[in-house]
Amino acid sequence: MQRAVAGTGQSAEGDDLVRRAQQGDVGAFEALYRNHAPAAYAVCRRMLGNDDEARELLQDVFVRAWERLPSFRGESSLGTWLHRLAVNVVLERLRSSKRETARRADVSADAVGHSPESDVDARMDLDAALGTLAPGARQVFVLHDVYGYSHDEIASLAGIAPATARVQLWRARRALMRILER
Amino acid sequence: MNDSTTHLTEEERQTLADGTIAADREAAARAHLLVCAECADDVARLEQLTMRARHLEDPTSDLAELWPGIRSRIENAKLVTLAPDSPARRWRRPRPMLMTAGLIAVLVLAVWLGARTRSAPDRAPSAQGGGTGDTSRSVVFVSDSVRAYEEEAKILLDRLELTRSGLEPGAAAAIDKDLAVIDSAIAELQTAIARDPRNPALQQLLATSYREKVEVLKRVSNAG
Repeated sequence: MQRAVAGTGQSAEGDDLVRRAQQGDVGAFEALYRNHAPAAYAVCRRMLGNDDEARELLQDVFVRAWERLPSFRGESSLGTWLHRLAVNVVLERLRSSKRETARRADVSADAVGHSPESDVDARMDLDAALGTLAPGARQVFVLHDVYGYSHDEIASLAGIAPATARVQLWRARRALMRILER
Repeated sequence: MNDSTTHLTEEERQTLADGTIAADREAAARAHLLVCAECADDVARLEQLTMRARHLEDPTSDLAELWPGIRSRIENAKLVTLAPDSPARRWRRPRPMLMTAGLIAVLVLAVWLGARTRSAPDRAPSAQGGGTGDTSRSVVFVSDSVRAYEEEAKILLDRLELTRSGLEPGAAAAIDKDLAVIDSAIAELQTAIARDPRNPALQQLLATSYREKVEVLKRVSNAG
């Protein structure tokens, strides 16, 4: 049971924008960007834990959305389609990042990353605390606890075993509790 | 199973907190929470965290300023698409109407030749033996090429399905249309071959059609 993605409700006006954008109308696509960018940005920001990277990847998400829009058949809402696209773009980025490989090794020992951001103050909010987690733990926590993906879905998306996803989640929660309750 | 003296496992605490605990373990785990303050407190804190995550507000950022960059990348992609003669990665559409007309013309010729071949023994019985042997060999040879092309087309079609989502707008539809024209010619030829299986001209034509299909798919693959 996944959390509703912002901007999923598709009106007739939304359908019209999608149709026009599919036919190459950049103005219509800009309107779709305005409606859906905040939700897609939230996915990128939370999964990456870094604003600059999230903004950079958000552009990739929408360039790819433009390229793939002709294949969008409306079987899900555009918001859901974009949400899944954003998750895939982020996971691709993380997979291809050498830094990710190095950080994953940390996750086996501790779900908390070792960036300077780890030194957080006691009143840190959850979004900021997410930024201190190691990427693997953060992805699983965000997908499961924020967006409601099942362990099987996460395993399939991230290319890990469901049992690994489960353990990553538990470690992420413990790490977040430690940070937030300091 | 837990009682009042054994603490809940990590799995039980975590799954109680997010509501995914197995039904057959839930009652015992909840009973334990009533008598164990330590486990109850831990589960409550975990529940609080999962509730916070579920109701997390979306982070905000000025995203309007990113649009010009996106637009520019989109426009650049469109220019590349429209630029004349931009090389190897361009999908060039064949001329299916001409191709179909050609195929139909050859099909008619092949059927006519096939009819003549069948009536030939009546007029020239002495030539039949050697002629039939040659025909059989060429039919077998061409059948082998048809199978090879068929295999290659299958592989390329699978590749096309994988790359379809990355094709330019409209290109996928154009490719499907072209492939449909060729497939329709192939189907007609297969019907004709079923009626006249030893007609080498039909077999040759079938091989040619498959080759056309493979070439179309290769062009798509190179353009991708």
